[in-house]
Amino acid sequence: MTLNLCVLTPNRIVWDSEVKEIILSTNSGQIGVLPNHAPIATAVDIGILRIRFNDQWLTMALMGGFARIGNNEIIVLVNDAEKSSDIDPQEAQQTLEIAEAGLRKAESKRQTIEANLALRRARTRVEVLNVIS
Amino acid sequence: MAMAALRREGRRFTSPLISPRPITDVRSSLISEDEAPSGVRSISTQVVRNRMKSVKNIQKITKAMKMVAASKLRAIQVRTENSRGLWQPFTALLGDTPSVDIKKNVIVTISSDKGLCGGINSTSVKISKAIYKLNSGPDKENKYVILGEKAKAQLIRDSKKDIEVSITELQKHPLNYTQVSVIADDILKNVEFDALRIVFNKFQSVVSFLPTMATVLSPEVVERESESVGKLGDLDSYEIEGGDTKGEILQNLTEFQFSCVLFNAILENACSEQGARMSAMDSSSRNAGEMLDRLTLTYNRTRQASITTELIEIISGASALEG
Repeated sequence: MTLNLCVLTPNRIVWDSEVKEIILSTNSGQIGVLPNHAPIATAVDIGILRIRFNDQWLTMALMGGFARIGNNEIIVLVNDAEKSSDIDPQEAQQTLEIAEAGLRKAESKRQTIEANLALRRARTRVEVLNVIS
Repeated sequence: MAMAALRREGRRFTSPLISPRPITDVRSSLISEDEAPSGVRSISTQVVRNRMKSVKNIQKITKAMKMVAASKLRAIQVRTENSRGLWQPFTALLGDTPSVDIKKNVIVTISSDKGLCGGINSTSVKISKAIYKLNSGPDKENKYVILGEKAKAQLIRDSKKDIEVSITELQKHPLNYTQVSVIADDILKNVEFDALRIVFNKFQSVVSFLPTMATVLSPEVVERESESVGKLGDLDSYEIEGGDTKGEILQNLTEFQFSCVLFNAILENACSEQGARMSAMDSSSRNAGEMLDRLTLTYNRTRQASITTELIEIISGASALEG
């Protein structure tokens, strides 16, 4: 009995196949989903999604969205998603540094909030690379 | 634009006649010109040749426009198909219920900025007006949010006071989700609603565009409906996690749903616009070709008539000298 996972972003379908288990990070912490989980609908935070697939763990960076889990079907809708294999370490590190600099420079409340979000996104991407390696 | 220019030329062409003739009666107007008793000479070949040149130019322009529209269509079509998968989970979870009874209705009409794209903008506007009428009653109120120049021009004439927000020049920058989410945010901030009805043309195939209406309900209405046994009863079977209250999650969810559905709707409308423009330009190229054929026949006939007239004059002049 395997779970069917579907990760969708507005531009494309990032993942659509069967998995054994996933670990999702939501607003209220990380949740692990095994087959026959109770149906829930939850908001997904900017964070890491781990997928167990063929006895290997795969990581993906998600940029916030929603997930619906029910009947062994998981549908995750996010603003953007990147697989760890698609992220370039150098570029992710640079983005992180730029985001940190942006946060230091931010003045108004709105800029601070946006800079914080950018920082979290950049940090997630760097973390995704660090998890596997 | 092309047809208007031709019509203008037609009027100039047939002005010597007593009553104006339509553009397609080129041949018959020429014949009656020859028989007109007012002493007007037959049309010179120069005039016909000028018309042929302008019709040929128009044909070239419309053919080029068709190619451009075809290439733009190919680019957008891929993205549209990818974005279709996005709103289906929302429909599965929250249901697409156009028939829920609500007080404040906001109609989001999506149209194009440029013209020459067939009838798609007029159908969108017609449907928006029909929805407006359907939902009018003592308590209820309707407002418009307009995306695109063409719908704005048509709706501003009779429903000016009901337009809340109008956004134009969407297609200046390539469409992406961030931009659309900013627009959605803008709309949500400025407009109070119980239900949002998004009217757009769905792209079925290169020749068929279906006017469609997608409904997004506001969080309060969703809660109300899910508590009563209606179609949204399934929502309660899902436990809501993350965030403090169910209301907050529902609000986030409906905002996300709105921006996803809007993104898909804008892409589909852009596809339909390019497809409609392709077929409109194709039929006008074909019409220009047919008109060119008819003008060529007229030109040859005029040329032969003038040669015959000259010959007759020469021969009668010569015979007058002899005899």
